[in-house]
Amino acid sequence: MDGFVAWLESTTLSRAIVESRVIWPTCEIIHFIGLTLVIGIAGFFDLRLMGFMKRVPVSAARDLMPLAIAGFLLNLTTGMTFFIGKPHQYVGNVAWWAKMFFLLLAGLNAMFFETTVGARTLNLGAGDDTPRAAKIVGAVSLVSWLGVLYWGRMLPYVGSAF
Amino acid sequence: MTGFAAWLQGSAVGVWTRESPSIWAYPTVLTLHTVGLGILVGANAVIDFCLLGFAPRLPIASLAPLYRFMWAGFAMNAITGVMLFASDATTKAAQPVFYIKLTLIGLALVTTAMIRTTVTRATALPSADASRASRITRLATLSLVLWAAAITAGRLMAYL
Repeated sequence: MDGFVAWLESTTLSRAIVESRVIWPTCEIIHFIGLTLVIGIAGFFDLRLMGFMKRVPVSAARDLMPLAIAGFLLNLTTGMTFFIGKPHQYVGNVAWWAKMFFLLLAGLNAMFFETTVGARTLNLGAGDDTPRAAKIVGAVSLVSWLGVLYWGRMLPYVGSAF
Repeated sequence: MTGFAAWLQGSAVGVWTRESPSIWAYPTVLTLHTVGLGILVGANAVIDFCLLGFAPRLPIASLAPLYRFMWAGFAMNAITGVMLFASDATTKAAQPVFYIKLTLIGLALVTTAMIRTTVTRATALPSADASRASRITRLATLSLVLWAAAITAGRLMAYL
């Protein structure tokens, strides 16, 4: 791992990210805008899956999901920029591993949803209750994304400091 | 303002947020500020994108419960925002970008309130009314731009 970190930090791309006065703050701004899309759009869908806001048709709420995916892609790109810039700041940081754990959990949970209960929720309209499995998926998703946000924000304060 | 900022910074809230070594002090207050931002701006984004036609099958009136989430997010951020400001009030009160951020939040809230009037009255949205439709499009776009700008100003406080 140390060798990989040392190699990554020696790359031109890594140096460019750290030496620029503009790249890091710009990526931070985009990272926060991306997080509102993920928390807002995915969180909204999760709440409906959990049985809240029943007047919302499940299938119609799902139409917004591409925006949550767009937010996630913004954060994946900017997050990778941070990692390439200062990998040593992350690989030894327990908060980063916790963030990655919740990211993996959110991803596996979404895959589970898409391949199993997802199909059974597509036809649910306004007022319809969701299956118990969908409620659990929604709760796990919401907790996972809040976990990703929590541990991301904790990065400078837990483990190795910035 | 300088006197007020100095007083706030020396107050119990200011001292605790800044100086407590506890993980529940500054780090947690800052994290809650980010969670509140996600809830407030995220819920706004759901309504704005819906008004912009990203989910044509989603009835706008069904999104009314999101305003409760927005209020919760706003309340969280008003409280944590005062605490974060108090922790370093003299520095933040001297930052132009801080006042830009507050102005943007004020304008964004006004836009959100104007959109809400539209949403609560939208049981039968007269799609034939072209001028009303274009007004809604403008408001929704303005809301997204203002909230994104408020986030940008907030982030820049750490760098300027």
